[in-house]
Formats: sequence, C-alpha cells, structure tokens
Amino acid sequence: MTAISADHLSKSFGRTRALVDVSFQVPGGSIVALLGRNGAGKTTTIRILTTLLRADAGSARVAGCDVREDPDGVRRRIGVTGQTTTMDSLLSGRQNLEIVGRFCHLSPAASRRRAAELLRQVGLENASDRLVRTYSGGMRRRLDLAASLIAEPEVLFFDEPTTGLDPISRAEMWGSIRALAGRGTTILLTTQYLDEADQLAHRVVVLNEGLVVADGTPEKLKASIGWQRIRVTLSHLDPAELNRATELLGPRAEVVGRFLHLPAPDGLRSLRETVDRLAVAGIEVHEVALEHPTLDEVFSAVTTDQTPDAGMVTRGAML
Amino acid sequence: MTSVAAVQGRRFGWLLIDSYNAARRYVLRGMRQPDVIVGSILFPVMFVVLFGYVFGSSISIPGGNYRSYLMPGLFVMSALFTSNMAAVAVATEMQEGVIDRLRTLPMARSAVVLGQSVAWLVLWLPALLVMIACALLVGWHPTTSPGSVVAGFLLIELFSYAVSWIGILVGLTARGIQAADVISALPPFLLGFISNVFVDPARMPAWLRDIANWNPVSSLVGAVRNLFGNGIGPPPAGVWSLAHPIATTVGICGLLLVVLTPVCIRIYARTAR
Repeated sequence: MTAISADHLSKSFGRTRALVDVSFQVPGGSIVALLGRNGAGKTTTIRILTTLLRADAGSARVAGCDVREDPDGVRRRIGVTGQTTTMDSLLSGRQNLEIVGRFCHLSPAASRRRAAELLRQVGLENASDRLVRTYSGGMRRRLDLAASLIAEPEVLFFDEPTTGLDPISRAEMWGSIRALAGRGTTILLTTQYLDEADQLAHRVVVLNEGLVVADGTPEKLKASIGWQRIRVTLSHLDPAELNRATELLGPRAEVVGRFLHLPAPDGLRSLRETVDRLAVAGIEVHEVALEHPTLDEVFSAVTTDQTPDAGMVTRGAML
Repeated sequence: MTSVAAVQGRRFGWLLIDSYNAARRYVLRGMRQPDVIVGSILFPVMFVVLFGYVFGSSISIPGGNYRSYLMPGLFVMSALFTSNMAAVAVATEMQEGVIDRLRTLPMARSAVVLGQSVAWLVLWLPALLVMIACALLVGWHPTTSPGSVVAGFLLIELFSYAVSWIGILVGLTARGIQAADVISALPPFLLGFISNVFVDPARMPAWLRDIANWNPVSSLVGAVRNLFGNGIGPPPAGVWSLAHPIATTVGICGLLLVVLTPVCIRIYARTAR
C-alpha cells in the first residue's frame, strides 16, 4: 500500500521555482529520505504534504486522503516534527503535550495519559513540569517528537530531524525513528546528510533545485556514484615525491592540491594495498583516509549523464 | 448514514471545545508573562494619577466632581488597550513555530483566533479589577442600582471583546511584533483622547467637537456614565449617537464582530509563513 504519493507537485514563490513537477511514492511502513541541499525544495515538499502549504499544481495523497480536498483527514493521520521547535516556551512540557492531545480531539483523560506516557518514552519525565524555555535544544526536539506522536499517527514527517543536534542526540533520534518504523509507522524525512539517508532510509529521493534528480535505494544511489576514494597526504610537500607517488599508484591516481586521490574499488582492501605500496617504495605518509562520496558528488553524479544499468531512475537535468 | 446536520453539529461542537482549549492555552501563556499583566494594570493606574490629579486639578466640570466624571472614561480606555495587547500577542505567536504545529493538527482553524479573543476577556479582568479599586479609592462611586452598574460593566466587556478583534487583525497582518505594537497603539490613543473620556467636547473647536461627539467611544462613555450615575446633564443636541448611546455601542460592537471575525479567521487560515 502507498502511504504517501506526490504527483507532479509544483510550487513557486514569486519568481523562485521551489518545486518543479515533483513525483515520488512512499510505501506504507517504510522510511523514505528526501535528500538535498538547503533550498532544494525539501521543506516545501513537506509543507505541502502536511497541509501547511498549497501546491500551485499537482496533487498529493497522504494516508489515503487528498491534501487539498480533505486536509482534516490528513491532519488526523499524520505527525510532524519540524526543523524549528513548535512547542510553546511559556508552558511546561506536560502542558504542551496535553494541549496538543486535546487539539487532536483526545479526551482530557486520554491526553493526560498519552502525555505522561510519551514524556517517559522520550526521557523527559524529570523535566515534564519545567517550562520549555529552560529546555536544551535536544530536549525541545524530543518534546516535539513526542507531540507529533500524541495521536498515534500512521504517517510521520521529519524535517531535518538531526540538524543542529550533538552526536549523541543525533544517534538517539535515529534510534527513535527506527523504532517507530519498526512498529509499522510510515516515515518521510528530509536530510542534508548522505550518511543519515544511508543509515535510515529504505529509499532515497534526491532533490536538487526543486527537481527530483534521483530516486532509488541507498545502495543504488551509492553504486551510481562509484566507490569510495582514498586520500593520501604525504609527509613532505615535495613535488618530486608527489609525482613519484602518483606514478607508483597507477593511472587513476590524481593530484588535487596537496592531496593525492585515487579510487578504492575494494574499500579497506584497496586502502591497505595503497599503504603497503607506499611503504615499500619508502614514501613517508602523513595521513591516508578512506573517503565517502559527498553530497556534492552525488549531485554531480546524478545530474550528469547516467548509464542506464546504474540502476537509478534519473529524471531531468539541471535547468 | 450521518446527515449533513449531524456532521455540522459535531463540527460546531468541536469548534467550541477547540476554542475553549485554545483560550485556556492563551490564558496560561498570559499568566506566564506577569510583566505583561503588570503593565496592563500599571498603565490605567498611571492614567488615574495623571488625569485624576496632575491634569485633573486644573480641569473643572460643570456641576460635578472631575474624578467621578473621569473614571467611567478610564474603564473604557483600559478596554481600548486590550486591542494593543492582543495585537502584540498574536504577532508574537505568528513569529513562533507553534503556529505550524497548530496548523497540522485536526483542530478547527477558527478556534485559534476565537481562543485569542476569549482569552483577552479573561486576561483583561485583573486590570479592570485594579481600575475599579483605584476608582473607589479616589472617590468614584456609582449612584444607581447594582443592576445598572453590572449592565455598565457588561457593556464595557462587550466593547473590550469587539476591539480585541482589531488587535487580532493587526497582529495577523503586521510585519513583526514591533510593527503590531506601534500600529495597534494608535487607535486607542486617537479614539480615547478625541472623545469625552477626559474633557467635555463642548469646549473643543467645532470641527474637533463633531469628531469627538460622533466618536463611538464617546457613546460608550456616555452610556456608562448614565448607567453609573456619573453623567453631567443632557447630551448635546443633534448627535444621534450620544442621544442613543447604548444602541450605538451595541451596534458598533456588533458591526466590528460581524466584519472582523470572519476576516481574521480567513487571514489566519491562509497565512503561510
């Protein structure tokens, strides 16, 4: 069953085209990541799907309800955790959740029960009666998550759930998202981080300048970019030594500034081979690193020509 | 099968419940900002001192005590300033992420603005009570029956509720909190000062006197002075709104509500940040 389907969504703000004919589907119970840089159209997409914004053209269905025809139906079935905190800083965590429960049309008793349950679940029970004003960024994000879970939604939206979080809070948020998906909740999240999409999502939709430039599993996405890369930094900034190392490592090695880049088709094994060869030749090495493709490389890979067997559905190029 | 009437009835029921919860939320918020409440109390107290004593010592009212004449007008001034506080509160909330949360919940959209307006009725009460205490302290006392005194305060409450919608409109449309504050402070000053709140318009220049006499605030103040027994003789001839002050006040409030309520609800429902 399809939990979210976006069909040919377009949206402009004045002369800025935020979304251009965006289509994708999220199967029920799966996690899909919208991956893109700032301004790629991720938040606009989420705002349209969560009934905060109307698309200029195209349609979308969420949990069986049309976002334009039946926004209340959508709102009854979704939970949203935004980029910015949406909790009232002048109320306590508990008051915030209870009021959200009442606005979701739970009874007063059920709102109180759900609020207490969720405060425990997100680890805020000791702070539940403090004003949200006194919460840290991570605590606010957890309270926001709790608020979006009050009415046990079928579909959850996370807009950059880990942006600005410290590494521990980030790992906790990932854990929560996985646990929710494990219980059958459909999740659409946006992220700027390739590794986040890789860690969490069953499928990745890559947005660039309002266009869907790729749509597939993380494995396919990575395969389309090629493998990891080795970056070598020599101990001595000596051009002769750099040339010698380049010749030694074969035709695919190239000098980029102070570094030497070469592909690592076999990952760690390639890394070890490289280190060994340099050691045997007596070239002193300051650092050798295995690098993952960056988001920029994903974009340049998916926005330039693709071989059909790369397995990625690629539509449209840069305008 | 559920009939259309039943669905509409249920919707209306939820609208009432959502509005009640929204109002409760704003009252809670308001109580967490004691500085705002204290400000709303100090402001009218300052007016009592300034006009009751500083200017009042030099103002004479034919056949009456100036402070008794003044106090009903100050109650109305305090009601006028609820629009200013409502504007700031709404503008503040529109800047916060909370509004995005509310918009994704299955609650009635109009409940948010309805709740705001109702909350101001409650949040304004401390200021009104302090004003009444001040008034009694400086020698004001109603000379009519308790029934007419209550009717007078109900009329002021109705007016306060109606003008809070002006504040909500400003709060929804102003670009930023400061803009909302400045814009919404203008009508209370203009309407309050060019009226019979502080002085008898009879001594104003003719053009200004006409404005002051036809000012709806003058009607309300006239009505309240009559209901409290603080009036000073018959209203000027030829001014219908002063001859029928209660009808004028109820009419103006009704007009404000009929126009502003749907407009504000629409603007709120449409605004996208």
